[in-house]
Amino acid sequence: MIIVTRKLDEIIETFQSVEPDIRLELMLDYSRRLPPLPQKYHAQRDAGVNRVPECMTPVFLWIEQDNGSVRIHVDVAEEAPTVRGFLSVLIDAFEGASREEIAAAPSDLLERLGLSDLIRMNRAMGLASILGRIKRAAGEAAG
Amino acid sequence: MPDEYANPQVLVSTEWVDKNRGKTDKIRIAESDEDILLYETGHIPEAVKIDWINHLNDPVVRDYINADRFAELCADRGIGKNTTVVFYGDKNNWWACYAFWVFRLLGHRKCLIMNGGRQKWKAEGRPMSTETPRYPSKPYVAGRGQKSIRAFQKDVIKHMKSAGRLVDVRSPQEYSGERTHMPEYPQEGVLRGGHIPGAVNVPWARAVNEDGTFKSRNDLEEIYLREQGLRADEDIIAYCRIGERSSHTWFVLEYLLGFEHVRNYDGSWTEWGNSVGVPIEKGGQPAPALT
Repeated sequence: MIIVTRKLDEIIETFQSVEPDIRLELMLDYSRRLPPLPQKYHAQRDAGVNRVPECMTPVFLWIEQDNGSVRIHVDVAEEAPTVRGFLSVLIDAFEGASREEIAAAPSDLLERLGLSDLIRMNRAMGLASILGRIKRAAGEAAG
Repeated sequence: MPDEYANPQVLVSTEWVDKNRGKTDKIRIAESDEDILLYETGHIPEAVKIDWINHLNDPVVRDYINADRFAELCADRGIGKNTTVVFYGDKNNWWACYAFWVFRLLGHRKCLIMNGGRQKWKAEGRPMSTETPRYPSKPYVAGRGQKSIRAFQKDVIKHMKSAGRLVDVRSPQEYSGERTHMPEYPQEGVLRGGHIPGAVNVPWARAVNEDGTFKSRNDLEEIYLREQGLRADEDIIAYCRIGERSSHTWFVLEYLLGFEHVRNYDGSWTEWGNSVGVPIEKGGQPAPALT
């Protein structure tokens, strides 16, 4: 059995309970709610540090570890609302989760959210690689 | 004008679109982006959305939608047979050119591209809206498709055997076979790397300026004619990974440079690189042909 955080379960259930069009609207809402990158990381971002190389869209990712819990900070261009939405889902889902829980989160999240048919492979795999990065970082800290 | 494109009438400026966007009885502006949600974050107020995956591709078979579904798509957006459709989008009009190509393939006659695309429109501070406009549905009877702009694998094999010119518009790394996907894009389902024997490599984005507009005719001729030795009177087939980047090059060769017969191979590398028994060449760019 894969451990999924309760929050992530709720999000998946919400996405699964609606039609594809509404799923996209949910993603759009999430993309609008993506928290801004904290000021302390702006200089690093501007210097090109912590860019996720798998994404054609510039995505910058910081994973903070604190007392067994993980905090994710990202910066994504406004021109990439799908990527913003997905990261916003992850941040919401992993809020307060332990490193172990994050490391064990399902890798096929887009599919579980019912989005994999709507988002073609090249972008979907970019999103999967971001998730993989977060899970690995959490796993390394946990192990 | 010596530096005018071969068919300048297929391109319109952002300024022209801004002036004419209100004429919605004759003109339909259509945004086509790679990112499926980008339109919803703001678009030209009169623009409708055409998504390359969910609107233009058949959901089951690897093919484009059929004539009936195309007619439905157009009718829904108030596009009639005589409506001029102006395409624009993100990433240097990459997806706009793809939508343009599919519309031509499926028989829509009046198609234009807004030079500079979404990037230029936004940079110029022109109006954008998040409201989706609705237009009265128009009955649409699809015209005869322009099948001559599409190449299937069997056509490409024949073309290759007769030493026809092929343009591979992917990155140099995909072309050489070092990788089977775009730089910075993850691996995408191709078993073998390399290119179709005899193809030259001209990455598609070489045809655009920093601001997203197409390069001048002279600059384009420098690349495709003088550097690569392509001739306007020979048959050309362009391809990439799934036929989207190459529709951009198809547009450049066919309309901006006025080549007589250019086809887009939409099966592209995801078909060729997975096919049994077709020849593949690996390695760098061949020496340019002597002209």
